[in-house]
Amino acid sequence: MAIRIEPSVDGATGGPAAGATRSGGHAPAVELRGVTKRFGSVVACRNVSLSVERGEIHGLLGENGAGKSTLMKVLIGLIPADGGEVRLAGRPIVVKDPVHAAALGLAMAQQHFSLIERLKVWENVALAHRGKLSRRQAVRVVGEIGRRYGLEADPEARVEDLTVGQRQRVEVIKCLSLDPDVLILDEPTSVLSASESRELFGVLREVVLRDQRAVILISHKLDEILQATDRVTIMRDGSVVESMATSEADAHRLARAMVGRDVLLQAEMAAVGLRDEVLAAEESADPSPGAPASPGTARVATGRAPALRIVDVEVRAPDGRMLLDGLSLEVGHGEIVGVAGVEGNGQAAIGDLLSGLARVTRGRIEVDGEAIGATSPRALLAAGVGVIPEDRHRSGCVLQLSVAENLVVSDLGAFTSSKIFLDRKAILRRAVELIEAFDISTPSPTTPMSALSGGNQQRVVVARELARGPTCLVAVQPTRGLDVGAVEYMSEQLRKAAAAGVGILLVSTELDEILAIAHRIVVLYRGSIVGEMRRDEVNVERLGLLMGGRQA
Amino acid sequence: MSAVVTRLRGLLAAPPGEVEQSRAAAVGQLVLLYVLAIIVALLVTGALVEIVGGSLASVFSAIYTGSIGTFGAVGQTLDSAVPVLIVALGSLITVRAGMFNIGQTGQLLMGASVATLVALHLHGPGPLVLLATLAASVAGGAIWAGIGALLRLWRNIDVVISTLLLNYVAIQALGYAVSTQSILQEPTPPGGQAGGLPQSALIPASVRLPHPGQYPNFGVGLGLPIAVALVALFAVLLSRSPWGLRLRMVGANPVASRRFGVRVGLIAAGALILSGALAGFAGGVLLTGSVYRIQPGFDNNFGNDGLLCALVVRDQPWALLPVSFFFGMIRTGGSFLLSTGVPFYLAQVLEGLLVLAAVFPPVYLERREWARRLRAARALVLKAAA
Amino acid sequence: MSVVDLTIILTGIAKTTAPLLFAATGEYVAERAGTLNISIEAMMLAGAYFGMLGAEVGGSAAIGLPLGIFAGFVVAFVHANFSHRLAANTFVVGLTLDALLLGLTDYFVTAHQLAPHQIAQTRVPLLGAIPAVGPSIFDQAWPFYLLFAIVPLAWWLLERSQWGLEVRASGENPAAADATGVQVNKRRRQALYLCGALSGLGGAFLSLCEVGQFTEDMTAGIGFVVIAAVIFGGWTMRGTILGCLLFGAAQAMGLVLPALGRSLNGELLLALPYLAALGAMIFLAKSYRAPRALAQPFTRGVA
Repeated sequence: MAIRIEPSVDGATGGPAAGATRSGGHAPAVELRGVTKRFGSVVACRNVSLSVERGEIHGLLGENGAGKSTLMKVLIGLIPADGGEVRLAGRPIVVKDPVHAAALGLAMAQQHFSLIERLKVWENVALAHRGKLSRRQAVRVVGEIGRRYGLEADPEARVEDLTVGQRQRVEVIKCLSLDPDVLILDEPTSVLSASESRELFGVLREVVLRDQRAVILISHKLDEILQATDRVTIMRDGSVVESMATSEADAHRLARAMVGRDVLLQAEMAAVGLRDEVLAAEESADPSPGAPASPGTARVATGRAPALRIVDVEVRAPDGRMLLDGLSLEVGHGEIVGVAGVEGNGQAAIGDLLSGLARVTRGRIEVDGEAIGATSPRALLAAGVGVIPEDRHRSGCVLQLSVAENLVVSDLGAFTSSKIFLDRKAILRRAVELIEAFDISTPSPTTPMSALSGGNQQRVVVARELARGPTCLVAVQPTRGLDVGAVEYMSEQLRKAAAAGVGILLVSTELDEILAIAHRIVVLYRGSIVGEMRRDEVNVERLGLLMGGRQA
Repeated sequence: MSAVVTRLRGLLAAPPGEVEQSRAAAVGQLVLLYVLAIIVALLVTGALVEIVGGSLASVFSAIYTGSIGTFGAVGQTLDSAVPVLIVALGSLITVRAGMFNIGQTGQLLMGASVATLVALHLHGPGPLVLLATLAASVAGGAIWAGIGALLRLWRNIDVVISTLLLNYVAIQALGYAVSTQSILQEPTPPGGQAGGLPQSALIPASVRLPHPGQYPNFGVGLGLPIAVALVALFAVLLSRSPWGLRLRMVGANPVASRRFGVRVGLIAAGALILSGALAGFAGGVLLTGSVYRIQPGFDNNFGNDGLLCALVVRDQPWALLPVSFFFGMIRTGGSFLLSTGVPFYLAQVLEGLLVLAAVFPPVYLERREWARRLRAARALVLKAAA
Repeated sequence: MSVVDLTIILTGIAKTTAPLLFAATGEYVAERAGTLNISIEAMMLAGAYFGMLGAEVGGSAAIGLPLGIFAGFVVAFVHANFSHRLAANTFVVGLTLDALLLGLTDYFVTAHQLAPHQIAQTRVPLLGAIPAVGPSIFDQAWPFYLLFAIVPLAWWLLERSQWGLEVRASGENPAAADATGVQVNKRRRQALYLCGALSGLGGAFLSLCEVGQFTEDMTAGIGFVVIAAVIFGGWTMRGTILGCLLFGAAQAMGLVLPALGRSLNGELLLALPYLAALGAMIFLAKSYRAPRALAQPFTRGVA
């Protein structure tokens, strides 16, 4: 695939100054030339060149795995590059570590925040300054930045007490406090609601215009790029594919550059954030037989108990915080119910609830009409509840075990011959079956789980859960961090399962993912369901309002 | 000298760039590092010997003679290795389950104490009483470890701390018991002074472990085959049974294990109690096999040795056999040190140095190889997350 | 109870608590950095022995102290570099060091008996005249008074300095700290060095100021009582001090009660500090929050 680098790498803004040479005009705020980064035999970044001007918001677009984060981590000094050079304001530099980067004027707001929860906001800011900020100064800085850019935050608050959106703000404040020339944001809106995202973009615009800084916005969502950036560079499989002014771009062109082909499948459109396309598609409006005809209709219509019913459940964290506050919902056989919501409103708790790992203080769970002990993982497993958890490394698999072992681990009893010994042959047979059926890519069934890629690990989890023939399946953020192909695979699996009669509960912060396959959508806010609508009568604005906690 | 160092450096260097090291080269480097580490340990020991005015040669000759120099010595070494082996087996099981039981000393003592009670007070045919004694030692150790398990389940107190503190409680409890006539102290012979020695009476001859196969100067107790059988049993169970798999799961990822229906609390507590049972059993074997009475210091550091043995071995039950034999060698060899004028404690120092030497090479290479493999692994993850 | 009795009790408690508190202050810093250091025994033994050795070689007890501190530091150096530079299992290293130092000090002391040395008591003017409290707390060997400086200093270092901020960050969320540019393992090693030095001081205090002699295994598990004190104290300085007082008091009963003319079963007295530590953790431990990354080794790892 040809690498198309903009001929005039420096000074190439959308304006009339195109082609300004180094000697005469201004140099770009930051420039990467031919940066290459290898991990063993895998090339994460291949000869990447990127140029960002001052006063510009530059989008770095690419699907998961394209190399965007790696590139930025090279820029910020977290990873050493294998080739190429970096220039700041025309001067070649070598960035040694994040501290050095900050001194040079480069700051990055990490996707999974670099904040210490137990410390206060001002302490986190001071930490980034290596001792040069006293307490008083740090508090003052937080206040100043807050006022200047509209990023309010309480310096004395402990980060662990803040909402996810507030933490995002603190992360950005921390970066801005370093007074960077270049500010990098890594997928900042993945945890924000629509309105919070808009606010953030407003702040970014303020940042670049007011102080003539440069901002690099990493994202895999087209609508964000179109909305917030001035220029966009698209990466695919480690290389730069195209670079253009946002005004010249349109959704399809970007999507095609990102994925390398025309994006037709609905799941893929969802994955790249082609919201309108997803909404327009008629495909998913057809639930399979057995699903309720309209929301709230009693099971009377089908005469069958719902696959899953959660009734007024209350779940608390170990320190007493409320995670789920009277949650009630139903999933019919063969129905896909999407739980939409902004990160931090209880998504993970739903996964824990149905895994039997949550501390339930009230309420009950019914599977196929029968009440199940909500705190007993064994009971839930026996009742046919499958879970694809949000953090597969935590509760989805045991990394140290082999792929085969992970595939059979919830049914050890079935693979025990003569009560004392495991039937290794039977386990291997089963493993080979499942590896084939679910298209898992692994050198052998006995490979340790830790050696598989993230996407394949997820396939193992899916295979194990679906192969048990569950009555209902809960998938929490199942496609997080997966590339478009893997996203498509996941949607396919979920759809097939639903067609076979499994009740699917899809919990995701990516609205597009839900819109692509759900029959019915409910909104999760502060641990309870605040609204519901069917797919064919969905109103995105109303969803957005509900997700933000407002009445709609 | 510097030429030697340069040469060594070359041998130990990592291959340039991202080249994957060949299997043979990796093993070669590991062996070389082990050898170097052991040499360093021996040099330090030598220095210590010199400081005290002894000679390294005579020290090693004494250790050799004492441990495997004669047939009789080998037999003694084997006998010494048995308690280490049994305790180490228990420790290995808890490490699999992700816990660190440091309470072997206490569990061993408690097991032996209860066993002594039974041996001294139960009447019946010899072999039966012997069996009951050994069973009691298992129970004693299990119960003592059970306290730690209980505290973990009830109050979430770390096993490391609780078992450790219980060690010291056990030591004092034993001291009290053997100084009190009503409990374990041997009755004062008539006409003797009141307040006799703090020790128990000898257990009757019929309750002692037989030494089968009495070759001239080579007597090994029944404890050895029992210990080896136990290792074989658990080696098989750990690798082939569902219990073994569950144990590994709990040690690797307790949350996921719970999710998969494994009773994590039960398995963990069970592993701890099992290891206590084994440590107690080691005490019982000691009692009925060689010492025949209980007194303060009965444990003779077997608890710690067993733990260190397991920590060196890390994961392979069968490897416990040679390593525990080695620990036995240091012990019996060490007892010969008195003849050289070097304090007996040197054996313990040598042991500690050798354990450190055994820990160092894999960790050092791991760090380097890890760095390389890490990059490959990161590629996969960053690719997925980027 | 007469003033004299009270004085005896307080003196006993002060004496037994001091070594605990020196070491506990160090462990408090080390655990907040995320390292669960179980080689305190080794550090204290090293301090106790080499303190006495220094006194013998140097001719005066006061010279022994710096040597004891240094010895503790050396133990910490080995531990820290094995555990937080080489990624060995910190429990293995700690336990081995405990066994090693026990053997080493026993070895040396058997080969060559050390002459007794003891640092004389110094009475603080004015404060030393307060009844009961005066003779007990303000009439101790001079290193005792170091506590009044070291404890607040350690607290300030951890809670108010930049170094302490980075140390705390390393103990709570090493990955995030690393991303912010904190050198996590370096801070952990430094925290251990501090712990080693202070534990060495505690050990030296034990032999030079309290007992006046080095005997085999003279610490007898006190290093682990220190860990219990930090845990019981909820990883705060105040709680740690309280824990040390509690366990020191338990230990002091062994000295104090006979002096008061009362006696309790010898073994029970000896077991008291350990039982107290267990009991404290069972019954009195409040809703404490351990540093989130305690006992979790950190390697600049996968995202």
